[in-house]
Amino acid sequence: MKKKKLKTNDRHIHGLSQLLNDKQAILYHKEDLISYDCDGFTIHKSLPRAVVFPHSTEEVARIVKYCHDHALPFLARGAGTGLSGGAIPLNNEVIISLVKMKRLIDIDLDNRRAVVEPGYVNLKLTNQIIERGYYYAPDPSSQYCCTIGGNVAENAGGAHCLKYGVTTNHILGLELVLPNGEIVEIGGNGVLDEPGYDLLGLITGSEGTLGIVTKIIVRILKNPEGKQTVLAYFDDIEDGSQAVSDIISAGIVPAALEMMDKTAIEGVEAASFPVGHPKDIAAVLLIEVDGIAAGIDDQIEQILSVCRNRNVREVRAAKNEQERAAWWANRKTGFGAMGAISPDYLVQDGVIPRSKLPEVLRRINKISEEYGLRIANIFHAGDGNLHPLVLFDARIPGETEKALAAGSACLKVCADVGGTITGEHGVGIEKREEMRFVFTDEEIAAQTDIRSVFNTDNLLNAGKLFPSPSRCAEVKKEMKEKIIG
Amino acid sequence: MNDVLSIAEYLTTNKLEYEMTEPDLFGNSGQYTVYPTSEEELSALFAFVHMHQFTVNIQGTGSKRGYGGLIDQADLLISMEKFTGIVEHHSGDMTLTVKAGTKLEDVQRYLEAFNQKLALDPFMPYVSTIGGVIGSNDSGPKRLNYGSARDAVIGLRVVYPDGKVIRTGGKVVKNVAGYDMNKLFISSMGTLGVITEVTVKLRPLAKSTATCIISFQGEDRNKIYSFTRKLLNNSIEPISCELLDPVVSYEISGINKLSLLVSFEDVEKSVDYQIKYIQSLVEEEMKLTVLRNNEEKQLWDRLYQLPFDKGPEHDKDEKLFAVAKIGTINLNVIDILLKVMEIRKKDNIDIYTHGGVGHGLMQLYIKGKEREMIETLTKIRNITNENGGYCIVKHLPLAQRLVFDTWGETKGAQYLLEGIKTKVDPKKILNRKRYVGGI
Repeated sequence: MKKKKLKTNDRHIHGLSQLLNDKQAILYHKEDLISYDCDGFTIHKSLPRAVVFPHSTEEVARIVKYCHDHALPFLARGAGTGLSGGAIPLNNEVIISLVKMKRLIDIDLDNRRAVVEPGYVNLKLTNQIIERGYYYAPDPSSQYCCTIGGNVAENAGGAHCLKYGVTTNHILGLELVLPNGEIVEIGGNGVLDEPGYDLLGLITGSEGTLGIVTKIIVRILKNPEGKQTVLAYFDDIEDGSQAVSDIISAGIVPAALEMMDKTAIEGVEAASFPVGHPKDIAAVLLIEVDGIAAGIDDQIEQILSVCRNRNVREVRAAKNEQERAAWWANRKTGFGAMGAISPDYLVQDGVIPRSKLPEVLRRINKISEEYGLRIANIFHAGDGNLHPLVLFDARIPGETEKALAAGSACLKVCADVGGTITGEHGVGIEKREEMRFVFTDEEIAAQTDIRSVFNTDNLLNAGKLFPSPSRCAEVKKEMKEKIIG
Repeated sequence: MNDVLSIAEYLTTNKLEYEMTEPDLFGNSGQYTVYPTSEEELSALFAFVHMHQFTVNIQGTGSKRGYGGLIDQADLLISMEKFTGIVEHHSGDMTLTVKAGTKLEDVQRYLEAFNQKLALDPFMPYVSTIGGVIGSNDSGPKRLNYGSARDAVIGLRVVYPDGKVIRTGGKVVKNVAGYDMNKLFISSMGTLGVITEVTVKLRPLAKSTATCIISFQGEDRNKIYSFTRKLLNNSIEPISCELLDPVVSYEISGINKLSLLVSFEDVEKSVDYQIKYIQSLVEEEMKLTVLRNNEEKQLWDRLYQLPFDKGPEHDKDEKLFAVAKIGTINLNVIDILLKVMEIRKKDNIDIYTHGGVGHGLMQLYIKGKEREMIETLTKIRNITNENGGYCIVKHLPLAQRLVFDTWGETKGAQYLLEGIKTKVDPKKILNRKRYVGGI
């Protein structure tokens, strides 16, 4: 490749470029940076200072050390599919893109583990090993393009985490570049229970604020011997919700238990993967059972009978793998499908105790009426993880703000019934203020205390995850002054 | 002396139940033992000890007093033994909140009535409290399928060393709001705070269970290895796949052979099918025994009670008893187990072990006089380090812990652990020197 000279007066761009083996692996022109001004959360945009593309842990470490030494804000980014704005450069950060670190380093089927670089795409891992009878369990809807590094940062979930757990339950070890540029191994070569505080568990889901993951040891699982999926249509959403509870109460642990309401069905049927769901039903349930083939039929029978007891209009098991795959494609592209019925949409991610489903759905309906915005509901009903999708039109002045407020109101409902504000998308910048729905100032401070152990100068991904403490402190100070004054 | 008196005064004035305690073999005790029953009491007590910089040790029933720690007595020992009871159980949501001093066995017995269980199988469940199990992240052979406390716990209430009460996680089964602070306290050996309440997710009780004992004729490494691989590289879904040396196998099943303990929990048809599958897999020179119902339960009970230390006063040779935990990459369990058997023969020492070939965690027991015990532990640690793993000591008297480091060498990230400890417990009053590298 022909060597080009960097056309900028920014001495740090020159400085960073010098640290890269490929001196051109850096973007700094405004027109190149625009693609990096947001991630999957498109409501807030902000330009980075530069984007660098390291190929190795050592390069990442050199860049981080440079940023640390020169007090430059920086953050890591994978495929940019995050839905809460965790990779948005709020402070003109240097973005360290990990998409070039995408090697599958090792597969050890005997010991059920694989080692990948952070830019390795989630679904690729399963595709690599499925023929040999294995797979990687966490399956976020974006798995065909999201990276495992990003999954670690967000502690990503997916439709099948009801039975198999989320990302944190599948991470055995990490290599991490700390915010001062030091490289550390965490989780001792993937051996369970390495003595010491569980940094592995702490870093998973820390939204890129404690360090930059450069290598990941993941657990892989054996393919289940059998698998069957049931589809059930309900005329009344409460019957559908009750069926969910009944299935769980019957002692069945489905691999997945998904639900979509009428508006969501309208969306998925208008989009690229329609399967012919009736338009006039109130809810569809998608229930998947997997495991030893000999035990599956009985469980399917039980599920069918539970649904019938709850006034199901139609319930049946998938005829073949093709039909099963079509149902799942229809469901997994559900968020994007909203684009077919609305110019813009905002995805929310609350979690509630399963038993509160009917109550929460009623209250979300009320929020929809209050704000005059349609809200579609797609959810992992089995674990109570709701995804209300607020449909709006950003071209109408004020409607974006209204959508954000409606989304926040949905999260308040989730928190009020004993749930939480995010089950798998993360807090990012989107839900910082909503953290106060579930944590006290003291509890938030306990978390930022831990951040300061790793991220001493807060140069790494600042402004994410936590509500701004300064505002709170200032308010308190002001009040104190008033009282004293 | 004045200090100690003022603790007694505080306890008396605040009508807390307490007693004076003598030092004992295992250390980690306190000059006084106090039995709080509420979070308010604990929070106020910590505010007091924090202000005066009194040192505090913490325990459940004390079954892990031989697990780490370099201090004989702190100023005060807080026993959570009386901090018990179910707080909330949402059967339909499959979540349970329980006070930290509740014994694991009591939790399981309560849940049985609802056809539910807490999927955890730590050792000594009849005496271990849920707080202790979480604090040490203890798990047994069924870790293979159950996971451990780090997979089951969804929320905690923790009293910090300065008395403030912090909630971590929540009460729902899926939650990524903020850092996963639960993980910080799970396996922290009580060095960061006192867990008062625990919220866990539950699982349905299996409709059917069975345990297969597959005994090998000899100790041929290659045969065991290839059979184990064949067993694991398969669609069956064992709950445990634990390799037992002949001593452990004899102790719990009466079969004096190197054996694999493979258990199943599922609907009846699935369990039956998997047993048949094992039957088809078992080779001529192996023997298969299938246990169900009471026999099965008794076998597991005996295994979980192996770490129970009757104490040197019950041993006519006054031998000490040690329990160690080994972590390695899954199939390395086979080699380590065979090496332990070699040591037993060669050194003529009473050592026995078992370990999970699907998760790489082993439990090891040694009975012996001080010198031979330390020598053996050193050998074992060297073997595990060579195999890319670790060996820590779960049970050993204080005098020997001072000679043989419970945790082994500290790793590169030690300063992060120290940083966390300093942030949470800047005065270092809680479980001082209990954990890795003296944190």
